[in-house]
Amino acid sequence: MAELHVVHNYAAAPEQVFDAFLDPAIARRFLFATPTGEMIRAEVDARVGGKFTFVDRRPDMGPNGGDVLHTGEYLEIDRPRRLAFTFGVPQFRAEFSTVTLDFAPAPGGGCELTLTQSDVAEEWADRSKEGWGMILGALERALN
Amino acid sequence: MLDATLTALADPTRRAILGRLAQGEARVTEIARPFAISLNSVSKHIRMLERGQLVRRRREGREHILALNPAGLDEAGRWIEDQRALWAWRLGELDTILKDPTDG
Repeated sequence: MAELHVVHNYAAAPEQVFDAFLDPAIARRFLFATPTGEMIRAEVDARVGGKFTFVDRRPDMGPNGGDVLHTGEYLEIDRPRRLAFTFGVPQFRAEFSTVTLDFAPAPGGGCELTLTQSDVAEEWADRSKEGWGMILGALERALN
Repeated sequence: MLDATLTALADPTRRAILGRLAQGEARVTEIARPFAISLNSVSKHIRMLERGQLVRRRREGREHILALNPAGLDEAGRWIEDQRALWAWRLGELDTILKDPTDG
C-alpha cells in the first residue's frame, strides 16, 4: 500500500543511467528537481552509508520562494544493477522513505529502470541494525 | 497526520487488519482471531491504525466495533499518487538529459 513504482525505459545503457544518479552535475538537473524549482546545492557522497544533500529553491513557496532540503543515505550501490537510498524532506515529513532503483538491460542496449519508493523500510531496518535501522526503531518506539 | 497514516500502512499485520475491515465492521476480538499474536499486540496495531485515521472505533455496550475510515486511505492515496507523478516527471527529465547531455 505505502509503496509506489515507476518504470521508465532509456535508450542509454544501464551503466550510463546508473551513473547519472550519483554524478552531482547530472543528478542536480533531475533527481530531486521539481518543474518550477532551481537546484542550488547538490552534494553526493557515493558510498554505502554516505549521505547526499540536494536543495531545491522553489519560487512557489512563500513570497520570496523557499529552499527545500532533500537528504538521505545510500543503502546499496551495486553498479549497474541496483541503487538504494533513504530519502527525506524534513520540512514536509518527519519520516524517511526508501527509494530503490533497479536497472535492467533492455533490448537494443537500452535500460529499463524501475523505481520503488517504500514508506517504511522495515526490510532495511532488519538488514542493517545500525544507522537507519536505529532511526526507524526510534521512530517506531516514539509512535508506539 | 500523513506520517501516522503511512506508518500505520507500512506493517503487514496492520494491512491485514485493514483487509479484514474492508469486508465490513468487526469487533476487536474478531479481528484478533486469525493472528498468531496476543490480543494486546493486536490492540496496539489497532491504535496505530486509529492514530493514522484509517480505522474508527465505536462502542456498543461493552463491545468495541471497528470500521474502516476511507477518508484516511484517500489522503494517503493522494500523497502516493503525487509522489508517483513527481518521480515519473524526474525520470522523464533524465531521459532528456541523456539524449542531449550538453544542453542545460
